[in-house]
Amino acid sequence: MERYDVAVLGGGLLGCFMARELRRHPLKVALVEAREDVCTGISRANTAIVYTGCDTKPGTLKTRLCVAACKGFGDLCRELGVPFARRGSLMVSYGPNADQTLQRKMIQGMENGVEGLKLMSGRAALEWEPGLAPGVSSALYAPDTGVTDPWELCYAAWENALANGVTPWLNAPVTDLLPEHGGWRVVTLRGELWAAAVVNCCGLHADQVQELAAPPTVRITPEKADYLILDQGAGHYVNHVIFHEPEEKGKGLTMVPTLDGKLLLGPSEQPGVGPLSATTEAGLDRLRQLAAQVAPELDLELTIRSFAGVRPKPYNVVRAQSIHDFTVTNPARGLWSLIGIKTPGLTCAQALGAWLAPQVADQLGKGELDSTFRPERKAPVRPRELTREARAALAARDPAYGRILCRCGGITEGEVRDAIRRGAVTLDGVKRRTGAGLGRCQGAFCGDRIMALMARMLGVPPEDLQKDGPGSRLLTGGRHGEG
Amino acid sequence: MEKVDLLVVGGGAAGMSAALAAAGAGPVSVLLVDREERLGGILPQCIHQGFGLGYFHRDLTGPEYAARIVAQMEGAAVSVRLNTTVLSLSQRRTAELSGPGGYEPVAFRRLILATGCREKTIGSLPVTGTRPAGVFTAGEAQRMINLRHWRPGRKVLVLGSGDLGLIMARRFVLEGCQVLGVVEQKGSCGGMVRNYRSCLLEHRIPLMTRTTVTRLHGEGRLTGVTLRHLDSGKEEQVACDTLVTALGLIPERELLAGLGGKLPGWASLCGNCDYVHEIVDTVTAQAEELGRQVGMELLGKK
Repeated sequence: MERYDVAVLGGGLLGCFMARELRRHPLKVALVEAREDVCTGISRANTAIVYTGCDTKPGTLKTRLCVAACKGFGDLCRELGVPFARRGSLMVSYGPNADQTLQRKMIQGMENGVEGLKLMSGRAALEWEPGLAPGVSSALYAPDTGVTDPWELCYAAWENALANGVTPWLNAPVTDLLPEHGGWRVVTLRGELWAAAVVNCCGLHADQVQELAAPPTVRITPEKADYLILDQGAGHYVNHVIFHEPEEKGKGLTMVPTLDGKLLLGPSEQPGVGPLSATTEAGLDRLRQLAAQVAPELDLELTIRSFAGVRPKPYNVVRAQSIHDFTVTNPARGLWSLIGIKTPGLTCAQALGAWLAPQVADQLGKGELDSTFRPERKAPVRPRELTREARAALAARDPAYGRILCRCGGITEGEVRDAIRRGAVTLDGVKRRTGAGLGRCQGAFCGDRIMALMARMLGVPPEDLQKDGPGSRLLTGGRHGEG
Repeated sequence: MEKVDLLVVGGGAAGMSAALAAAGAGPVSVLLVDREERLGGILPQCIHQGFGLGYFHRDLTGPEYAARIVAQMEGAAVSVRLNTTVLSLSQRRTAELSGPGGYEPVAFRRLILATGCREKTIGSLPVTGTRPAGVFTAGEAQRMINLRHWRPGRKVLVLGSGDLGLIMARRFVLEGCQVLGVVEQKGSCGGMVRNYRSCLLEHRIPLMTRTTVTRLHGEGRLTGVTLRHLDSGKEEQVACDTLVTALGLIPERELLAGLGGKLPGWASLCGNCDYVHEIVDTVTAQAEELGRQVGMELLGKK
């Protein structure tokens, strides 16, 4: 049985950063993931917003980590080669109730240490954002709110973890956790490993995984939300991230100008009915209604996709109360669980890892730093971001970087090849790594081209290719020459 | 920087015919670029008949129709660059080309855009539910079956009764698949009568009018869809593993975005990126006329 100092369970944003941060210490680390790739669970669908920390209560772990993480996010993204832009955000209100909420958040944000917050008049807000419906009564400006590429961030953490010697255990759903020799025997469908410590970052399943080894402390309810994506061009409708604070109870509209020029609308909260990846009519209708109300000139005909995201809502079963802070439990010696980490989980993923890793390392008596750790990860080559000269030189060196596979995103065959070499084994794995298939044609042009390339490079028949993990085969009609 | 008199973007019926006619007008340099590895545009994947009755006075398949024009290209004074995408155009009459030959700018005096159409996708419809594998546009499914010899699925529903939807419904039947029907929101078939007869009636494929798809089911592969009958408002769930969408064609003019969305005097649209033609014969005729005009213009004989 392979032996490790720490087994990190779950390859989402939390798990990948946890593994990376653990490697700052002289630890042998395994990352155990149920699926064929990382970034396939709840990390896959969110708003991509990096929050400043003015939405949460002072003094909580969540607030402390969020405020610091937001300030350092630019450095983190530079280190890992991940795109990031501080778009700034405007929280806008349309009446006295919401005005009060904004004032409360302003005071809370200042208390939390968020810098640059400014309460603006409705008129001033409309000058900045003429696309908003008239009648804005006030706005809270947070200059540090950012937008990133959550997929790229997750892959960057993963690749940096691997580069620093973390051992990948993919396709390995955990079925049991048994205390053994002062550590844990981790039983997976791919085999067993032993680790002195286990950090459970299993997202939506974190409660079930903890309960393999310890009594229940926190249970998770999946909270579903729908999103709409509008085509390139619509991203110019607003200049900042817009948080619409509704006058009545309920959730307002969030508008995010994404890094590739699209506009993301959502989330609209829905009760967790039906498959977790399914959008609902009520949710999407609500988003369209809100959009018509808050951004009346926005052309919803530009919608190219809708999707559903899920967040793990934690509930403390011991105290019978809901939880608003991040929950990190240590229910047995050498076992930690991150349960119910939701918004701002993306902002805080690295910070949570950096906060917990020294504690784990200390308990294992290996709290010192490992001088061989390298925090940098080289960003994949993206020809569309290069100068003309650099691009020409690149294409001359490797013609695959000249051939465009995805017309909507201007993504080259070289980038797709690189994504497959970096571990993409499904069509969506390529999509999340490169952006191919995210444009207005939604993969109608590039899908079969990428599939043909994958089949060749992975050495599998096209019939074996999956869209997004087990059970999602792209070609189910059988092979030619068969019945 | 490479300089040409005429740059033609797109090597389908429109682009080839326009380039040929311009080159035929006299000594002008013509460069035709196409992102595919072969000429013909959409035609090579349209292996059914019905092409050429108007122009060649013969009932040809798509590949046959394309081959006739490709044959004229051989020996004509048109340079062709394949596997090459035009990334952008500038007001200074330059284009940025990206292909296996590298990344290079080209200057031109005149431009003909013959970039065809793209298909509307299901993402633009208010369809809820999951996002499983097994949802293809008609053109995508056609390319998979006819050019790659892949089999996308077994139990198929087609959404949209335009010509492409009708042709693909028949194509799946000929592949030995079960086609449950063609779903159409409007009250009647959207495609040409001759296609309705030869594709649906002859193969006993039901046309479900005043019906639409409202929800997709299945978390990995598609397992079914919810149909809504628009008149009664009733919904029913139908089991299928493949949904083929034929939701209509949108002229592909993305390149104009870099020019502020306007068509400058030195550029012309040709073929389906000008407007969606019902048959290819009129595309060829229109393109030849345009190519001749542009050729004369470039020679100063206007």
